[in-house]
Amino acid sequence: MSRDGWRKKASEDDGWGGRGGYMAAKISKLEEQFQKDAPREKQKDGMSSCIFSGVAIYVNGYTDPSADELRRLMMLHGGQFHLYYTRSKTTHIIATNLPNRKIQELKGEKVVRPEWITDSIKAGRQLSYVPYQLYTKQKGLNFTSVCARGKQDPSSSHEPSKPDLNHPESDSIKPQNGSCSIISEEDAERPRVNGIHDGDDDDYDNACALLPRGSQDTLLTNGYVHPVNGALKPQDSFAELQSLISTASPAKQPGLHNMQKDLHPKPTFKPGTSAAPQKGNLHDQKRVRLNGSYHMTPNSSTLADSSNQPGRSGQGAEAGIISEFFSHSRLHHISTWRNEFSEYVNSLQSRSRAAGGAVFSGKEKLKKLKANCSLMAAPQVRQSCILHVDMDCFFVSVGIRHRPDLKGKPVAVTSNRGPGRVAQRPGANPQLEFQYYQRKQNQYRKEKTDGDLEMTPSPQCDEVPSNGVDLDLAALSMAEIASCSYEARQADVRNGMFFGRAKQLCPDLQSVPYDFQAYKEVALSMYETLASYTHNIEALSCDEALVDATKLLVELGVTPDDLARAIREDIKEKTGCSASVGMSSNILLARMATRKAKPNGQYFLRSEEVDDFIRDQPVSSLPGVGRSMSSKLTSLGVSTCGDLQQLSISRLQREFGPRTGQTLFRFCRGLDDRPVRSEKERKSVSAEMNYNIRFTQVEEAESFLTNLSMEVQKRMEGAGLRGRRITLKVMMRKPGAPVEPAKYGGHGICDNFARSVLLAQPTDSGQLIAAEAIKLFYAMKLDVKDMRGVGLQVQQLEGSYADPSGQGPSRGRSIKDLLLAKQPAHSPRKDPLAQGQSSVNRTEVTPPSSPPSTSSDPMPGTSKGGLHHPHTPNHVRTYLNVSIEVPSPSQVDQSVLEALPVDIRKQVEQSWRHREEQPSTSSHLSTPPRTSSSLPPGPSLGTLVLQLPDQPGQPCTTGIILELPDFSQVDPEVFAALPRELQEELCSAYRNKGNAQAHAQAQVEQKNPFPQLKQPAVGKLKRRYKKRNASPAKKGPSPLKKLFPGNSPAKSSPSKTLPLPLKHFGGKKTENVQCPSSPSIDVPETLSKLNPRPVPTLAGAYEFSDIRTLLREWVTTISEPMEEDILQVVKYCTELVEDKDLEKLYLVIKYMKRLMQQSSESVWSMAFDFVLDNVQVVVQQTYGSTLKIT
Amino acid sequence: MATLTRQDLNFGQVAADILCEFLEVAIHLILYVREIYPSGIFQKRKKYSVPVQMSCHPELNQYIQDTLHCVKPLIEKNEAEKVVVVIMDKEHHPVERFVFEISPPPLLSISSETLLSHVEQLLRAMILKISVCDAVLDNNPPGCTFTVLVHTREAATRNMEKVQVIKDFPWIVADEQDVHMEEAKLIPLKTMTSDILKMQLYVEERTQKT
Repeated sequence: MSRDGWRKKASEDDGWGGRGGYMAAKISKLEEQFQKDAPREKQKDGMSSCIFSGVAIYVNGYTDPSADELRRLMMLHGGQFHLYYTRSKTTHIIATNLPNRKIQELKGEKVVRPEWITDSIKAGRQLSYVPYQLYTKQKGLNFTSVCARGKQDPSSSHEPSKPDLNHPESDSIKPQNGSCSIISEEDAERPRVNGIHDGDDDDYDNACALLPRGSQDTLLTNGYVHPVNGALKPQDSFAELQSLISTASPAKQPGLHNMQKDLHPKPTFKPGTSAAPQKGNLHDQKRVRLNGSYHMTPNSSTLADSSNQPGRSGQGAEAGIISEFFSHSRLHHISTWRNEFSEYVNSLQSRSRAAGGAVFSGKEKLKKLKANCSLMAAPQVRQSCILHVDMDCFFVSVGIRHRPDLKGKPVAVTSNRGPGRVAQRPGANPQLEFQYYQRKQNQYRKEKTDGDLEMTPSPQCDEVPSNGVDLDLAALSMAEIASCSYEARQADVRNGMFFGRAKQLCPDLQSVPYDFQAYKEVALSMYETLASYTHNIEALSCDEALVDATKLLVELGVTPDDLARAIREDIKEKTGCSASVGMSSNILLARMATRKAKPNGQYFLRSEEVDDFIRDQPVSSLPGVGRSMSSKLTSLGVSTCGDLQQLSISRLQREFGPRTGQTLFRFCRGLDDRPVRSEKERKSVSAEMNYNIRFTQVEEAESFLTNLSMEVQKRMEGAGLRGRRITLKVMMRKPGAPVEPAKYGGHGICDNFARSVLLAQPTDSGQLIAAEAIKLFYAMKLDVKDMRGVGLQVQQLEGSYADPSGQGPSRGRSIKDLLLAKQPAHSPRKDPLAQGQSSVNRTEVTPPSSPPSTSSDPMPGTSKGGLHHPHTPNHVRTYLNVSIEVPSPSQVDQSVLEALPVDIRKQVEQSWRHREEQPSTSSHLSTPPRTSSSLPPGPSLGTLVLQLPDQPGQPCTTGIILELPDFSQVDPEVFAALPRELQEELCSAYRNKGNAQAHAQAQVEQKNPFPQLKQPAVGKLKRRYKKRNASPAKKGPSPLKKLFPGNSPAKSSPSKTLPLPLKHFGGKKTENVQCPSSPSIDVPETLSKLNPRPVPTLAGAYEFSDIRTLLREWVTTISEPMEEDILQVVKYCTELVEDKDLEKLYLVIKYMKRLMQQSSESVWSMAFDFVLDNVQVVVQQTYGSTLKIT
Repeated sequence: MATLTRQDLNFGQVAADILCEFLEVAIHLILYVREIYPSGIFQKRKKYSVPVQMSCHPELNQYIQDTLHCVKPLIEKNEAEKVVVVIMDKEHHPVERFVFEISPPPLLSISSETLLSHVEQLLRAMILKISVCDAVLDNNPPGCTFTVLVHTREAATRNMEKVQVIKDFPWIVADEQDVHMEEAKLIPLKTMTSDILKMQLYVEERTQKT
């Protein structure tokens, strides 16, 4: 019980419980609330009395009726209810069960069963408490339970197994108590309180926090209870749970505590009516923020749901721990509002669509207004107009909207109510952390924080230097300011600053508690207001939204200013809070205009003013320019957008990568073509916990990962998604950083690590994810003791369909999709069977275990530390998998597309969209492959797997040619979906092919190991690249087949394989290869480790040995070479020259020379001369000299 | 986490270091193999696990070192396209040109411990090719000299004049005479592709050497 150690120590030196301390403030506030609520409660319920006057109860642990009910009863009947135990004031302690230790500590107090209260009420007078005293019952049921627990939990086994009956108030709950509050909370404040305050208060705290829930809930919460301070130890707790259940004893109920208090705005609780829960909210809110490490997962809308449905969180105690964490995290909740509002907007749209047109009340009003003052001759706005509506310091203005006395005063929304001072915990070294961030500060330019409550997902952002930490910080409250009023901002108080510091800066600073219910109400009415004008709304967060008013303005004929004014007035009227509106022609400018509009104003940035306006804007105001980028820009001498405009696009792209570079280039000129999207596709599902991660055992980490996976599963299920890429993110204490961070339970200074793995098929199974995550975890070889944060993310999502086979959606989909996807590019229809076969050719996953693998095989374990992690074989082996490549939009003939049936077209478009969704990390195109000459544009190579003879004149080109891709590239799922006989056929084909390639393989590995080497640093390899390059390998055996029917070593593929002149390959290549300049640069990483640069190939072969084999076959089997083939060889040689691989060229030429000049046919000699002449010309052109052929 | 990322390490620098070291070895070896200097001034050394010859003539060594020292910044910035060791006859007409053509690697990365040994393998292969290149080349006329040319990209030369890496060791633009070789024959020796650089070595040889 290491916690106990410092708890005791801390309690000696605190000054916490003293007057003016935090606790005092809290308690008095609670009392105040209680008094306030009491009359109201009495009003509601007629039967009130004063039987309990003079009685002040404190509820400890689980009771029936619940603490909350008891609180209400006390309100009704003139009693007092203490959330915290105070020896002097509290008269009775209500409990049904107390652990031995606690009983010992509470000696001399009246510990009474709750029936005392209910019976008293029934009797209409205050009964004697004596018969209800708890210790009289102690002997019976409860005692056994205590024993049972003692056995279960070694930590309490040292307790006397038999409580001293003479000490009825003794108490054994202490151990759990301390730890449960630590573990369960995302909080920095509460545990600190616990640690410093009297133990008794802990109990009070916890007990009072207890809210009645179903037994399931209770159990769940118990899952949090851990005797150990290692962050989570589900196993143990479950064991404890078991024992709890079996003994049917609520012995541990006090541990329920804060979790429950955390209750998310339950529908039944109106802000005013429930002081206690409300209070809990405040604190929890702060916790999250304080802790800072807590990573907001903006995509996790499911959580909001689960937290709104108490019943749901009851699914499985295992997931409980983490799901509780999230469902009780206030900030997390708020972050999910955006999704809710997005959905709200969506539902509005769909409803209006269904209703055949929506009624826009606001719009109508404006129309009338317009009609009334017809003089307002507004110029027709043809240009697009985006409104950016942003509430002015949202949290503050909501917080004070019913408190006019605070208007115009410096106000901050924070949870700290005291003077802003706390004691320092031992083990922490805030100075060191401070210095660390100060160092960072020197690196990064200090950034101005703007806007309300910045919910920065970056794990360290909340600890940015602008927190205003100074060396004195040990004594200052680290409660962060979520939002502060403009008056406060004038005094240099900033959002995210620690409250203690802010109080120093601005002694008048008033703090206002969080009020989540109100936030939601206000936000909702803001959205309602906006929706009364148009449905073209993109929800950005709870307090800001984008509105595409282009159409609206044209329709109404009003100016943007009028519209903004109307909207602002509306919002002001409905919410009592002011909003600012920025308007301009695109999102970027609108947001910038909002900055200028604030506070409580509006600004229309006209297109003619843009240039002047943007020149003076700091670069940091551009979206996507964060600390690191702005510091980089500073080093380039750039501080404003004007400076940025001076940089060329190539320079920017060199510095920041092609994509970011271009974005910057456009943004700093005020160009932004992002549309206002009312619907956003989610790109990842993740769950992350950076608070209170303190593992001692590997097993703990493992089970934590399992739980986290379950949480992810829940979210994915909620969103109806499955994903293929699993990323494990870990925060590790930075070597040298203090073991105990300044922030209680926080992560302190950390290094971040991440690893990911690509699954064969998308999944949403928590088990699977957990298995992978644990594997990743072990692969990272980390010291569990230094872990400070763990996150799991699932990317490459796709919708999960109900798939009875349980094999994931792609299976059922792929063949059909392939069929459809192929249509736009190649209009001639093929018979379905052929389609089915051909689908095998499109390949994706590389099972490392497959025997005839090529160099493209990922080597598990060779990639170190990169994002890539080859999937472990056992998953791939079992299934094969298909994916189809739809040509990128730019390459599809629009007319063809339009001619397609609607559903087919939809599918194609869908697949484009899907592609766009893929995370794009294109730092890569900076070296565009110089392929265009050798491999001209076309849809990506892989697409064309089926080739219909396009030369009817040739005798050998009837029938369908099936190329065999590398086995490694066969999609397991498709394979599995194929008919039995086809599978067998393919298998045998591959077996043969494997033989043929076996020795080539060896050479590949030896000669060209770099594909393995380069992988990790490359990080994300483009699929597109892979495709292009994969194709040569894939085609490997087939050219032989086609060229030399009968002689080919790999000829045993299906009978449909027919000879085809070499030329066809050339032709196909031209058609198939992806254009390097294609806009679709957003290609996801793949497992393939192929060279991204196209390797010159001769009919698919690129290894010299293959080429040699190919040439030998050619020369020895055919008496008279065809012209096309010769040209093909010339082309290959030319490519070699261009690829600067003269050595190979030299070898090829010499080999051909030997072969052809030895040949009895003189045509071969001539052919060689022809080839040589052509090659010499190219070499001459390139190098100014010719090859010396001896 | 043994991965070195782009940020951690200046790739250009690493590649340039490796390359310049190799070039030094290669130039010495070429001078030996092509018998530009009497074999007496060469000593047998071991590099890349194979025997190589290195001159022990201090001035020659200094010259080679200085030259490469100046080449290095160019390579770092990827501005050098070719480094050419030109062997010239008495009339200062080139008879042979050993061209090290440097291109950026297909993918610039340094990632694993195997890297160095892999690069070393490739460089060793190249060294071995140089040692045996006399087999494919005609003998040189007596009294040959050598010089080193660098083919730069873009306007690198201008910068070079501004920033002289070594004082009093300026570069000059090569005479057409030095560069141009009539009726040259090209003999590719070796091509290597590694993570950090792609390089090929070929020899251009004048058809009529005497």
